[in-house]
Amino acid sequence: MQSNNLLRTILGAYTGLFILFLYGPFIVMGILSFQAGPEGGPQFPIIEWSTYWYQHVFGLTPPSRVAPLPIGEALLRSLTLAFATMVVSTVLGTLTAQGFRRNFRGSGFVFYLVVLGMMVPGVLLGLGMALVADQVGIDRTWWGTAFVLHVVYTFPFAFLVMLAIFNRFDKSVEEAAWALGVPPGRTFRKVTFPMIFPGVLSAMLFAFTLSYDEFPRTLFTAGSDVTMPIAIYGTFAVEIHPNIFAFGVLTTLFSFALLSVYGVLMTLSVRRAKTAAVQEEIA
Amino acid sequence: MSDHDLELVKLKKVYPGGTLAVEAFDLKVKKGEFISFVGPSGCGKTTTLRMIAGLESITSGNLLIRGKDFTTVRAEDRPTATIFQNYAIFPHMTVAENIAFGLQVRGKEPAEVKRRVDAIIETLQIGDIRDARESALSGGQKQRVSLARGLVTEPDILLLDEPLGALDANLRKSIQEELKILQRDLGITFIFVTHAQSEALSMGDRVVVMNSGRVEQISEPFELYTRPKSPFVARFIGRNKIIEGKLGGLSDGRATVETAFGPLAGIPSFDAGHVASGGAVFVVAPSEYVEILPAGQAAAEPGYDTISGTVSTIEPVGQVVYVTVELPGMAPIRIEAYRDKIEGAGLAPGASVDLRWKAERATVVAA
Repeated sequence: MQSNNLLRTILGAYTGLFILFLYGPFIVMGILSFQAGPEGGPQFPIIEWSTYWYQHVFGLTPPSRVAPLPIGEALLRSLTLAFATMVVSTVLGTLTAQGFRRNFRGSGFVFYLVVLGMMVPGVLLGLGMALVADQVGIDRTWWGTAFVLHVVYTFPFAFLVMLAIFNRFDKSVEEAAWALGVPPGRTFRKVTFPMIFPGVLSAMLFAFTLSYDEFPRTLFTAGSDVTMPIAIYGTFAVEIHPNIFAFGVLTTLFSFALLSVYGVLMTLSVRRAKTAAVQEEIA
Repeated sequence: MSDHDLELVKLKKVYPGGTLAVEAFDLKVKKGEFISFVGPSGCGKTTTLRMIAGLESITSGNLLIRGKDFTTVRAEDRPTATIFQNYAIFPHMTVAENIAFGLQVRGKEPAEVKRRVDAIIETLQIGDIRDARESALSGGQKQRVSLARGLVTEPDILLLDEPLGALDANLRKSIQEELKILQRDLGITFIFVTHAQSEALSMGDRVVVMNSGRVEQISEPFELYTRPKSPFVARFIGRNKIIEGKLGGLSDGRATVETAFGPLAGIPSFDAGHVASGGAVFVVAPSEYVEILPAGQAAAEPGYDTISGTVSTIEPVGQVVYVTVELPGMAPIRIEAYRDKIEGAGLAPGASVDLRWKAERATVVAA
């Protein structure tokens, strides 16, 4: 009993600390984003509550000594890059995992080769890519060199997610389709894909979020048109204003929205089966 | 046009690792025949079925369906349908969609698809679950849906891979009967894989017994039960008493065997000359034909095989009793007998008894 209580205390404290460190920074940022502007800085106390810095992010404030965040184009670039990375990595990851369902010669080697993409330190990879690009004479761009590295980085995540999904996949369902006269391509589209769709969603989510806030690989390879994380870093290299916090809050809300869409899609695909089950029980 | 729906000619399967799964499988199946494949797990019965379905490549030999060679034809282009042990219902489609899928892929008109789906749903009486999904179905319902899905495509041959394995005993019994009736009504050739010998015998017009990749025997159920051709079949099928010995001689279709109990006779399952005189053989007596008598009473009746032993235990189970008889030099034998007969004969543990059976009921198989 005694040790049980002790364990409970420790676990409680651990959970408390975990939540504090998880949400603390965000809450502080959230509070400071409502600081008065433009004179209020990124520190307590709050001079006066206001939405000045939110207006500032959208360029709705009169010009002041604080330069507007250079995020308009950077944000668009980051979203485009994340989207393209998501599509390519998920397609590649799914097809590669599909390939790994059969044991082929050298499959172990290829596995580590793929997974290496997420193991190699990002800064090294970014720097190395920059050097190679310069040597070969390729321009460094966010849609070229950076995009390639984003795929190299996120593809293993998508691959591992899909590998886990296929591990639990019952092959006899595909065989049943073949035996019914359905050619393999159509079997994949009509039977396999709908069944692995929740996994594909997860792989997409991983690829998108990892690419969206990728920093070290992008820093050296994006060239002059930077993505959002780099743009933001650029602004607080000089001086930090609460407009970054306001932007951070907006980004986080956007991420939550994305997660909610994911959650809704997941629930829908699970519920479809459940509803049928419930109806059956009633009948 | 061939008389045979299915012909296997020296069918062989060797897995990439070098494991021999099926060896020289020869079989001709008449149209509308119900064939059971039976054997212990790993004997190659499922592999053979999968080769027929096209889900497993054929290493050598030929596979003919209605006289046409299908050895290298892909699964989706074979006129077969397969019922899987776990049913493999498509979980994201309703029952009706599952059944319609195979027809839609063949490019049938929606009206025809609907008509045929409705008809098979009617036949298998699954109208009440036509809009349900797999997660809502019981084992028996899944079984019917997977049958409907296979049959709606009107296959030449229906392949069933242990389709009753996942059902409870009562349901098994009733679906066994239903399957048999369905097969007779439709006149489709069935190949039915099972590891349960009773199922193989009760369902099959003919039964193929397999062991470690080889075909041990292909016979009608009664013949398989009463006339095994190998020691494996004698042990695997039925409840046989098996006594080892050396072949004494063959005459008039009878074999005499020298055993520890003296000479015994039986019908040989092999051709003359296949086993040399003095070669190792087994005498196989189905336990249904074995009588138990107090020692001495069995003497002097010609045409019987008799062996002697000692009763070790008697277990009454309702009307019948199980008598365990110790025999010199071999494992004890358990005999089922009527209780009043045993009690009337005054048999008790420790009593000397004779076991006997008509020699013509016994089979002599090569060891």
